[in-house]
Amino acid sequence: MFDRILIANRGEIALRVIRTAREMGIECVAVYSDVDARALHTRMAHVAVPLGGSTPAESYLDQDKIIAAAKRTGAQAIHPGYGFLSERAAFAKRVQDEGLVWIGPPPSAIEAMGDKIDSRRAMVKAGVPCVPGLIDPVDDHVAGAREAAKIGFPICIKASAGGGGKGIRVVRDPKDMATAFKAASSEALASFGDGRMYLERYLDQPRHIEVQVLFDAHGNGVHLFERECSIQRRHQKLIEEAPSVVIDADTRRRMGEVALQAAAAVGYVSAGTIEFLWSKGEFYFLEMNTRLQVEHPVTEMITGIDLVREQLRIAYGEPLGYGQDDLQITGHAIEVRINAENPFAGFLPSTGTISNLRTPGGPWTRLDSSMYRGMEVGLAYDPMLAKLIVWGSDREQAIARMVRAIQETNVGGVHTGLPAALQVFQHPEFRAGNFDTHFLEGLKIQSPEVYEDLIVVAAAIHRHRLAKRRALAPTASERSGWTSSNRTDVAGYVRRAGSQEVSR
Amino acid sequence: MKTFVQVNGRIREVELVERLGELVVALDGEPFEVSYDEVDPYGQVILLHNGEGFALSIEGDGHTTAVTLAGHRYDCALEDERERAANLAARAAAKGGGPVKAVMSGVVLELMVAVGDDVVEGQRLLILEAMKMQNEICATGPGVVAALHVEPGQAVAAGDKLLTLSAKE
Repeated sequence: MFDRILIANRGEIALRVIRTAREMGIECVAVYSDVDARALHTRMAHVAVPLGGSTPAESYLDQDKIIAAAKRTGAQAIHPGYGFLSERAAFAKRVQDEGLVWIGPPPSAIEAMGDKIDSRRAMVKAGVPCVPGLIDPVDDHVAGAREAAKIGFPICIKASAGGGGKGIRVVRDPKDMATAFKAASSEALASFGDGRMYLERYLDQPRHIEVQVLFDAHGNGVHLFERECSIQRRHQKLIEEAPSVVIDADTRRRMGEVALQAAAAVGYVSAGTIEFLWSKGEFYFLEMNTRLQVEHPVTEMITGIDLVREQLRIAYGEPLGYGQDDLQITGHAIEVRINAENPFAGFLPSTGTISNLRTPGGPWTRLDSSMYRGMEVGLAYDPMLAKLIVWGSDREQAIARMVRAIQETNVGGVHTGLPAALQVFQHPEFRAGNFDTHFLEGLKIQSPEVYEDLIVVAAAIHRHRLAKRRALAPTASERSGWTSSNRTDVAGYVRRAGSQEVSR
Repeated sequence: MKTFVQVNGRIREVELVERLGELVVALDGEPFEVSYDEVDPYGQVILLHNGEGFALSIEGDGHTTAVTLAGHRYDCALEDERERAANLAARAAAKGGGPVKAVMSGVVLELMVAVGDDVVEGQRLLILEAMKMQNEICATGPGVVAALHVEPGQAVAAGDKLLTLSAKE
């Protein structure tokens, strides 16, 4: 096995990889930007290398700096995590060309799945079901109506150069097609200077269901069943669970086979995810994520397989060592993403310092977190702070456990989406399994009235205590001497490669 | 001493009197039996009320305070009698208009109104990009655009004035 690897990422996913690597006896090299000098991943790695800079482009996206850090510290392989450089085929290729091991799929597979239109063409060729629709856009309503009749109704008209919901129409009746096409096309022309339109079957009550696959470098592949991620907002997932309530054993087997077929078509190796849209019993290929996903822990919880461990073994050249029949689903797992966002104000990003932190614990409760008290949450990076994952013997128990775990949690100093998640878990329709990808958008997030009396009294007493303390406290200048020296503490066991380069 | 606490759109009145070191509390004029015990200096609090215990988390500066209980978060705005009188007067003077401020730092992508435009409640005023998300900033009430303080492409910090609305005549 590798002796030392570099993790080209930050936050909870860098920690996630470090934890498994430590369990396997592998040393970890963390990299960090100036703003992350105190981040948990730099403290829990064996070696931490400063990249400098504060924007992603200056740090975690700077390929030269990351390759140099790997060479300087003697790392044999690079794990990209998710986001940042994880789906850059050119970077994967460069890592390999430099004589390092890329802990991920072959660059050619990343490239083949990276383009929406190319991947769709490849999937249609491989016999994978895609949402019926046009591969090439049309710009005239006669051609539009003709193609629409072939695709079938209801149909969605989307601007080729689209974005922001402009130039999108849903047509349910064929006789409205020409009018709707003309209106959408002229709107697109006005907004984007391009009147060409894509046509695609419109899926009612769509659910987002994805299948985890694992391929070794010896041609063995398995799927690790599905995850459902329908509780999302603007394509940002909030809650994920496995298994899905709408997938029966037969559909699960068929989806798994299709997922393996899709991955095999691009010569896939390592962990990957095939995303499907599910509507009324039918499923359609959406895209493939050629990396570890944020929501991978729910699959780990129901299969007992550590996906990061498998990635490392596969990258080292080991065979999987088990087949599809050796895998089974045990119980039910749910994950909530803890994002710095304000669910009471349209999920706007929230910034601040985490001043007050109470984390959940107890049976079958897992917190993959980058949070610590004193952590500053800014706008430079992704707003995800942590993931809370629970397991239960069935869905009902898992939901009850998640509610309990959320009620134990407090992230003070910033807003998080947790109150929204709590509201979802307490919603009778969610509990019954009746929801689709529009569910969260239709929910008004509010706090229950039942606690209001206690809350207002507590807030008033808090203010009273603050005022009293302020009257007795020494002034800021008298205090500054001891507070600043206290803040420079760094965990002693971290060897910082070249930490003298970090300006403090 | 009276404190006005606004939560979930309602304003409640809490009266606190210290008597021999004990805090005597009244909520909206009614006696409210409570004990308040700080666990740590960061905001963990144990509240006892009618024989039940509640583990609260409280953060804030005394004017805007967040209280979290059992996973539910309450954003409270607090005023004492003097502040309440001053704020009421200021609100009356602005007649529903006033500055629209950035709630977070970001970059102004697009302005959707011009000086002199009539706006209605909920109308989109501008788009602010932060954390790679496009956030629509909407009017919270009707008014007329009196001034624009930003232009597209401009970076703003949280609390910066974006534009000013004046009351509709």
